[in-house]
Amino acid sequence: MPASSIDIPLEAYLVLAAILFCTGVWGLINSRNAVRVLMSIELMLNAVNINLMAFSSYIDGQQIRGQVFAIFVITVAAAEAAVGLAILLSLYRNRETVDMERFNLLRW
Amino acid sequence: MTVFCTLAGGGAPAITALQLNAGAIAPESAVLVALLACLLVDLAGEEAASRWVPPICYGGLGTALVLLALQWNAPLEPSFLGSFLADNLAIAFRGVVAASTLLSLLISWRYVERSGTPVGEYAAILLAATLGAMFLCGATDLVSIFISLETLSVSSYLLSGYMKRDARSGEAALKYLLVGSAAAAVFLYGASLLYGLTGGETSLEAVGVALQTSATPVTALALVFVLATVAFKIAAVPFHQWTPDVYEGSPTPVVAFLSVGSKAAGFALALRLLVGCFESFDAQWKVLFTVLAVLSMTLGNVVALAQTSMKRMLAYSSIGQAGFVMIGLVCGTEDGYAAMVLYMAAYLFMNLGAFACIILFSLRTGSDRISDYAGLYQKDPLITLGLSLCLLSLGGIPPMLGFFGKIYLFFAGWADQQYLLVVVGLITSVVSIYYYISVIKMMVVKEPQEASDVVKAYPEISWSLTGMQPLRAALVGCVLVTAIGGILSNPLFTWANSAVAGTPMLQHAIAASESAVAALG
Amino acid sequence: MLSALLLIPLVGALLLLVWPGDPESQRWRWATLALLGLQLFWSLAVLLRFDPAIGGAQLLEVAPWVGTLGLEYRLGVDGLSLPLVLINGVLSFVAVAVTAADTSRPRLYHALLLLISGAVNGAFLAQNTLLFFLFYELELIPLWLLIAIWGGRNRAYAATKFLIFTALSGMLILGAFFGLALATGSADFSFNPLLAQDVGLGVQLLLLGALLVGFGIKIPLVPFHTWLPDAHTEASTPVSVLLAGVLLKLGTYGLLRFCLGLFPEAWGVMAPWLAGWAALSVLFGSLAAIQQQDMKRMVAYSSVGHMGYVLLAAAAATPVSLQGALFQMISHGLISALLFLLVGVVYSATGTRDMNVLRGLLNPQRGLPLTGSLMVVGVMASAGIPGMAGFVAEFLVFRGSLVAFPLQTLLCMVGSGLTAVYFLLLVNRAFFGRLDTPPTTQQVVLPSIPLGHQIPAMALAVAILAIGLLPQGLGSLMERSSFALTLPPRVIAASLDSAISSATTTPAIRLEQG
Repeated sequence: MPASSIDIPLEAYLVLAAILFCTGVWGLINSRNAVRVLMSIELMLNAVNINLMAFSSYIDGQQIRGQVFAIFVITVAAAEAAVGLAILLSLYRNRETVDMERFNLLRW
Repeated sequence: MTVFCTLAGGGAPAITALQLNAGAIAPESAVLVALLACLLVDLAGEEAASRWVPPICYGGLGTALVLLALQWNAPLEPSFLGSFLADNLAIAFRGVVAASTLLSLLISWRYVERSGTPVGEYAAILLAATLGAMFLCGATDLVSIFISLETLSVSSYLLSGYMKRDARSGEAALKYLLVGSAAAAVFLYGASLLYGLTGGETSLEAVGVALQTSATPVTALALVFVLATVAFKIAAVPFHQWTPDVYEGSPTPVVAFLSVGSKAAGFALALRLLVGCFESFDAQWKVLFTVLAVLSMTLGNVVALAQTSMKRMLAYSSIGQAGFVMIGLVCGTEDGYAAMVLYMAAYLFMNLGAFACIILFSLRTGSDRISDYAGLYQKDPLITLGLSLCLLSLGGIPPMLGFFGKIYLFFAGWADQQYLLVVVGLITSVVSIYYYISVIKMMVVKEPQEASDVVKAYPEISWSLTGMQPLRAALVGCVLVTAIGGILSNPLFTWANSAVAGTPMLQHAIAASESAVAALG
Repeated sequence: MLSALLLIPLVGALLLLVWPGDPESQRWRWATLALLGLQLFWSLAVLLRFDPAIGGAQLLEVAPWVGTLGLEYRLGVDGLSLPLVLINGVLSFVAVAVTAADTSRPRLYHALLLLISGAVNGAFLAQNTLLFFLFYELELIPLWLLIAIWGGRNRAYAATKFLIFTALSGMLILGAFFGLALATGSADFSFNPLLAQDVGLGVQLLLLGALLVGFGIKIPLVPFHTWLPDAHTEASTPVSVLLAGVLLKLGTYGLLRFCLGLFPEAWGVMAPWLAGWAALSVLFGSLAAIQQQDMKRMVAYSSVGHMGYVLLAAAAATPVSLQGALFQMISHGLISALLFLLVGVVYSATGTRDMNVLRGLLNPQRGLPLTGSLMVVGVMASAGIPGMAGFVAEFLVFRGSLVAFPLQTLLCMVGSGLTAVYFLLLVNRAFFGRLDTPPTTQQVVLPSIPLGHQIPAMALAVAILAIGLLPQGLGSLMERSSFALTLPPRVIAASLDSAISSATTTPAIRLEQG
């Protein structure tokens, strides 16, 4: 719907999304626990969703492509998380750890 | 109901003007049917699966290849409301992807059988990855690009972690997943910015038009984000760190697919995004990719020198090879694009031929170390000959197929005055000859008494086990094409050129760059 | 007609590789000899069909190959390539003939020799620069394998060094060809000296420089020569024969055909420096040869020196000097092949090539008298004693170059004198004196070499004498082509007559007349 009825400017949402995205990146780089890394990636994806929803409702009220895109992102993120946790689980059974520093069979 | 009415009222003219054109994805449908059939057969138990899955896969991929051939030069119409386009470029790359899956499957049966994992699931996941890669080659909308990219990626994560009992495989999968998802998130962030910048459009064409008028820092940021993902997908240095680990840890047939099929899809994506969408940032991305190409060729080929594991060596060599292909991308001429297509097709055969030999060797000996190949010529002439020819072809030695592909890339680069790239390419191919040759030296030159313990205890050669015959067929086929394809390469050149000629997007870019040159001159 | 020169060895090599079963070792050799005999016969047939009166390439065979790249299957032969094709035929045959009967892995060995022979023929006959490059690279891997598998103790190092140097030279050559062909925008890889006209002199010099370094590695010229002594020391005798006799000629052929032929203008600018480079190469090669203790290394360094004459002659680019360059290529091919053969015989008889150890090999009863005598012939020819092939070549080179570059030519003449010095050292140390040197008390009896094994060497010696005594036959073959390389042709005709008339007064020719 048109932006005129809303007081919060578009930029606010974009800044929020940017902050969230940076938080995600920071978590991605700094976490030792693999589950936390997965969660950080979810944060980044949610930042994207906020972006898409904000643009969709401020700019693209007619075709709402952004909202459709966001639904796809959520779906794929769920699939990705499922696969990620499954892989992590099988790795945990082998190694009994989820510490990224200990995953060193392969040289980085 | 009201929502539906608004939609119908507001969007109807635009939607009805665009046909669905579902025929364009007929090849993908064939793959999809094969995928479902594999899953169903898998329910019937192990035995039924191992008997029926291979023919189903051959049928599906074979049909897909035939349908692709029928689509060649067909009149172009965007399908699915402009989110997919089956131009010749897409067909060529989809063909490469489908063929790489077919060959990877041929060489996987024995490997999968021996690892004791279900064959049906493996084939289904690999076909899903193929599906994603094929869609990616023709996707022309940010949403469809994202969906197909993720289909490819998520299946690839599963594939690389397919050896559940092997901790290395799991570790490779986890690393691939984390880096890949992060890259996808970065791509999405860039895509969401592009969506905002265009004022609510997601098709690449609209994005391209919108970018021509806006050159804000945010646009540059979006560009960088999207490009980083492309570079990640084609494993360009410095976005390559995942490659050696994933290649070393993953099951070898999966690596074969990742190094060819996935990479081909990545290059198709790169062409769509860079040429079709970021046209107004032509100068910038070309500089960026020149740097990436130089780094990839140098680092990939130099680090490959120091490797002791065959798979890791091929991983670094594939980074270097991607650097060579990027020369064609940066050129932006008719020859440049055609050289890319040609080299990917050549790379398909020579790289998969090399992988077939490596898999056969590891099936017989369980080893992957380069030093274990010492003295192999005595025990296994087929692997020795096949691997030697494929490696020579990768090194660009005449009269192999790779020589013609590489010389075409350099030719196109030189004609477009990319002297730096060509000179770096020439020098690094000498380096690459050195490490390819050292494998051949291991196999051919070492005397029987210098042979490795593994080779001394080499088992009797037998082709009777399940899955060995397809492996042999794939190996011999790839090696033959690699060895003879070069001499008879003229049709391949014609094909590559018509792939470029039948792609309006590329023709448009070529015309634009030519007129720019004319304006300068 | 020319395609057969490629097809016979290349198809033969493939047949050998895929031949079913495991015939005994000698069969491979006979089959290869038959194929190479056929190739030699065919090249003689080409010689008969060849018309020396035509200046350019003849007996052309053209077929399209890869149009997009400008790569065309275009074969032709002229006075520059025909003698080289002939010498390739002869020396390939000789190389197989002198191969030891108990060579390991005979199938691969003979197939590789055939591959090299075919690739070299292709490089000499190619009339398209890309096609030349293709054949130039094709010869790389077989030769690498020949050195790496059947070489001496340190063969892995020598083979890899050879490979890296030659691969680098190939890349430089390819870059230069691209630079020339694509300079005009269209992909024209034909042999056309007019191509360079549209390129600025600076770019021409750059491209010529790349080509010179590329071919300089192959020839080899100082300081790019370091791979050659190693490769020769480690390679087996037949491979050394091929390497010195034929493969180095690819470098000098490229020098004349491409450097001089495609960049006449830039060549003129660089010529004095090139002549200086030639003198440096000659002197360095000769001085380094004097230092050597290993007979084979000495012969290898003598190659470095002798190939320098070709650069000198090419730099001068007078008709006489070019004629001399061609003669030098042929005579060096024959002479170095002979020397390597004989060194191989000495090595197989005594087990060493160290000149500090070898003594008195000429001993008529217990030594190697025939080998020694042939060695003296070869050494004399190499040192340029009148009546031998080496003399004609060197005389023409110096006679032709003196007008253009007196100082450099004089320096090269000094190098030629040094040849006599080091080869005298070789003969004096290894062949003269007493066979039984003081440290050994018992009588040394060297195994006698069957006469049959000496036939190739004797044939080469006869050929060297024949060319030395009757140079006109070869000369008339090459005359036109060497003119075609020099520009402009009209001036040359006059100077040639005078050169030939002066040449007839020289002792060698008089000897032949009398």
